[in-house]
Amino acid sequence: MSDAASRPTPVELPPAARLFHGYRFLENTYDELLASDGVPRPAFRQAVEVLSRKSAEEVRRCQALVDRALLSRGVTFSVYSDNRGTEKIFPFDVLPRMVSAQDWGRIRAGLEQRVCALEMFLDDVYGDGRILAENRIPANVVLASSGYLPQVRGIRPHGGVRIHVAGIDLIRDSDGVWRVLEDNLRTPSGVSYVLENRVMAKRAFPAAFDRARVHPVDVYPARLGDALRSVSPAPDDPTVVLLTPGPYNSAFFEHSFLARTMGIDLVQASDLFVDSDRVWLKTTRGPAPVHVIYRRTDDAFLDPEVFRPDSTLGVRGLFRAWQKGNVALANAPGNGIADDKAIYPYVPEMIRFYLHQEPTLEQVPTYLCARDEDCAFVIDHLQQLVVKVVDEAGGYGMLMGPQSTAELRSEFRRRILADPRRYVAQPRMELSSCPTWDGERGCFAPRRVDLRPYIVSSRKGQWVLPGGLTRVALVEGSYVVNSSQGGGSKDTWVLKS
Amino acid sequence: MISRVADHCFWMGRYVERAENAARVLSATHGLALDGELPAPQCWLPVLIVAGEHPAFTERFGASAAGEEEFVQDYMTWDEKNLSSLVCSVNAARENARSIRDLLSVEVWEAINEMYLWLQGEAAHADYVENRFGFYGKLRTHTELLLGLVRTTMLHDQALDFIGLGVLLERAGWTARVLDVHHHALIGQNLGDRAADTGLWLAILRACSGYEPFLRHARGQMSGLAVATFLLLEPKFPRSVRYCLEAAGERLCLICPPGSDELPGSRTRKRLQFLDQWLRHVKLSHTDPEALHQALTQVVDETAAVCNGLGEELLGQGPTSASATSGETAG
Repeated sequence: MSDAASRPTPVELPPAARLFHGYRFLENTYDELLASDGVPRPAFRQAVEVLSRKSAEEVRRCQALVDRALLSRGVTFSVYSDNRGTEKIFPFDVLPRMVSAQDWGRIRAGLEQRVCALEMFLDDVYGDGRILAENRIPANVVLASSGYLPQVRGIRPHGGVRIHVAGIDLIRDSDGVWRVLEDNLRTPSGVSYVLENRVMAKRAFPAAFDRARVHPVDVYPARLGDALRSVSPAPDDPTVVLLTPGPYNSAFFEHSFLARTMGIDLVQASDLFVDSDRVWLKTTRGPAPVHVIYRRTDDAFLDPEVFRPDSTLGVRGLFRAWQKGNVALANAPGNGIADDKAIYPYVPEMIRFYLHQEPTLEQVPTYLCARDEDCAFVIDHLQQLVVKVVDEAGGYGMLMGPQSTAELRSEFRRRILADPRRYVAQPRMELSSCPTWDGERGCFAPRRVDLRPYIVSSRKGQWVLPGGLTRVALVEGSYVVNSSQGGGSKDTWVLKS
Repeated sequence: MISRVADHCFWMGRYVERAENAARVLSATHGLALDGELPAPQCWLPVLIVAGEHPAFTERFGASAAGEEEFVQDYMTWDEKNLSSLVCSVNAARENARSIRDLLSVEVWEAINEMYLWLQGEAAHADYVENRFGFYGKLRTHTELLLGLVRTTMLHDQALDFIGLGVLLERAGWTARVLDVHHHALIGQNLGDRAADTGLWLAILRACSGYEPFLRHARGQMSGLAVATFLLLEPKFPRSVRYCLEAAGERLCLICPPGSDELPGSRTRKRLQFLDQWLRHVKLSHTDPEALHQALTQVVDETAAVCNGLGEELLGQGPTSASATSGETAG
C-alpha cells in the first residue's frame, strides 16, 4: 500500500516533498512525480526542489493568475451547445508534468518507428495491398472499415507523405510502462494548447523551469511550415493555406493560432475554387494559385463531388486537383483506415512486416469484436472492460465497464451483437497520476493523465515535438481526460539529458 | 488578400462605425428632447429614418410608437431583431473580428472583445438605466479606442485599408442621412421659432460630433445653410460627406491603384472618384432649397452603389468566373 497519509509520522521528509505532504496516492496506480515513499523521483528532484519552495498560498495565487490570463487571451474552445458557438477556456493545471530524458529518448524512437510503419501501411493498402495478400492483416477488416476510402486507391500523393501531422496518444500503466493507446492520423488537434501552456508555465514557475532544463516547444509552427512547403508541387515560393471549417468549429482557436504563427492565410472553403484541376484562392487581386492545403476539415466534407454531396465546408473538384498532384493535402484523404481502432491491434505486425523491427513502444491488449472468440469474451466480461466504437473520437460512444450500470451494459451487449465490427474492448488501464492542484482543498492531489505527442513528417522524414499535450482528468476518480468531458491540461516538460 | 477576409475587414469597420453613429445620434436626440422645444415624434422619428428602420419599426409597433422616447431608445439599443441596434452592430462587429482574428493585433481583438462583454454584462444595463448619456458615451469610448488601436497597433496594409473603407463609407452614409432627414429644417421651411431652429441645428451638429468644429469654423455665425454646407462640403471636417468620400477614394486607390484597369475594383474606384468630383461642384443656397435634398439623394444612392460594387468586385460576393489563365497574371 502506498497511502502516505495512513503512515504514522513521515520521518525526515526531504524539503522537496513538503509541498506534497499528505498526498494520498491512488491505489494500484503509478505516480509519475513521486515515488511511493512520497519523495520525488530522481530525474525530477532538482526541479521539484525549486517548486517546493512555494507555499500552498503561492500556488493558489499562481493558478488564479493563469486562469485570468487564459480568459483574457481568449485561449478557448467552442462548444456546440447553441448555434452562436459558446467559447470556454480549456482548464489548465499549473503544476507541469515532467518526462525524463531517458524515457523521452525511447518514446521518440518508438513514435518515429510507428508513424513510419503507418505511412507504409497506407501506401500499401491504397497501392499493391501486399500486407493483405500475405494475410498479415485480414483483408476484410481493412476493406469493411468506414475509414477505408475506395476513391483513394491507386493515388500516391505529391511529396510522398500522407501523415504530415500525427498525434499518438500514450498512457502509462500501473508499472509506469509507456503504452500507445490510440493513433490520430486525420486532423489531430491540441498543439496550440501545448504552446500556450508553455507560456503560462514559464510565467508561473520561471525558476523551476530554468533549473529543470526543458526542451523548447515554440519551434513547432516553423517545423510544420517547413514540412508543408517540402511537399509542395511548386517548389519555388509555394502558397500554403490552412483550411478551417470556420469560426464555429470547436478548434477554431487553434486554426487561427497556427495560421498566425506560421504566417499563412486562414481560409474557408468558400475562399477556394478549382479550375482546370488547379486550386485557386479568391483574392482582392483576382485568383491566386494554392499549392499546399493544411486542412482541418474531415475527409467526408472535403469535396462534395467525391464525398458527402451536402457538404458546405468543402471545395468542389479539390479531390481531382489532389489526385492530379496539383495540390498537396495535409493530411491526405483516407488516413482514417490507419487510425481505425480495429486496425490498431495490427500495428506491431505492420512494424515487423515493413521495417523488420520489433516495436519499441508497447500497446494495450485489445479484443476485436469482429473475431468471434473475442466477441464472446467481451460479451461475458463487459464489467471489467472498456468498450470503444472503432470510428469515434473524443471519448464518445465509450462504455467504461467498471463504472457502468447493468442497464447500460445490456444496451452495449445488444449493440455489439448487432454490429460486432464496430466495437473493440480493452482492459481498463490504471492511467498514471500526477500531482494536480485541487482548488477546493487547497492542496495537491493525484489526477490521471495521458500524453499526446505530435509527429510532423516532411519529405525528409519524421520530427517529434519534444513535449506534447498532457491531458488530465480533473474530476476526482475520473479516467476520462477529454476536454469535452471535464478534462484539463498541463504543460509537459521534456527534460534535456 | 483573400476576398472573404477583406469582406470581414470591411464589415467590421462598418459595424463599429454604425454603432458609434447610432450612439451619437441617440445621445444628441436625447439631449434635444430634454429641451422640450419639439414634440417627441419630431425628435425620435428622424432617428428611425436615419437608421433605415422606419418601415420595419412601424410594421412591428405601429406609427404612434415613434413618439415614445423610451421605446425608440430601447429599440435602437437592445432589440436583437433590429439590425441597426447597438447590440446587433456590436455583435456583428465582433463576429467579423472573430473570423479574422489571426489578422488583428492582440490589442484590437481585446478591445472589441471588451466592448462586446461590456454590452452583454450588467454594468452596461445599469448605466443605461441610471445614466443614459454616460451609457452612450461609454459605447463611443469603446469604438473610438478600437478604431484608434486599429491605426496604432496594426500593420498599415490592405486589411487596414478595407477596415478604413468600411468606416468611411458608413460614416458618409450616416452624415448624409442625418442631413437629409432634416433638410427642410435646414434650408427653406424653418420652424420659424429661433430657439427651436437653433436647437435642432445644434442637435444635428452634435449627432455628427460637429458642434465645436462648426462654431470655430463659422466663428459663431449659426444658420441652417451654414450647418448644411459644413456637414456636406467642408473638406477639413472628418465627418463631412465630402471628407469621407475623398478619404474613401484614397483608400480604394491604395487597394486598387489607378492606371491598372484590369484589376478588380477599378470600376468601383472610378465611380467613387466621380462622385467625389461631382460633389466638389455642388453649391447650396437659400434660393434653391431642393438642391440639398437632390445632392443628398445622389450621395446616398451612389454610396450604396459603390458598396455593392465593392462586394462584387473585391469582397467575393460576385460570381466566381475567373479563368485560370487570367488568374495567373493577376495573382
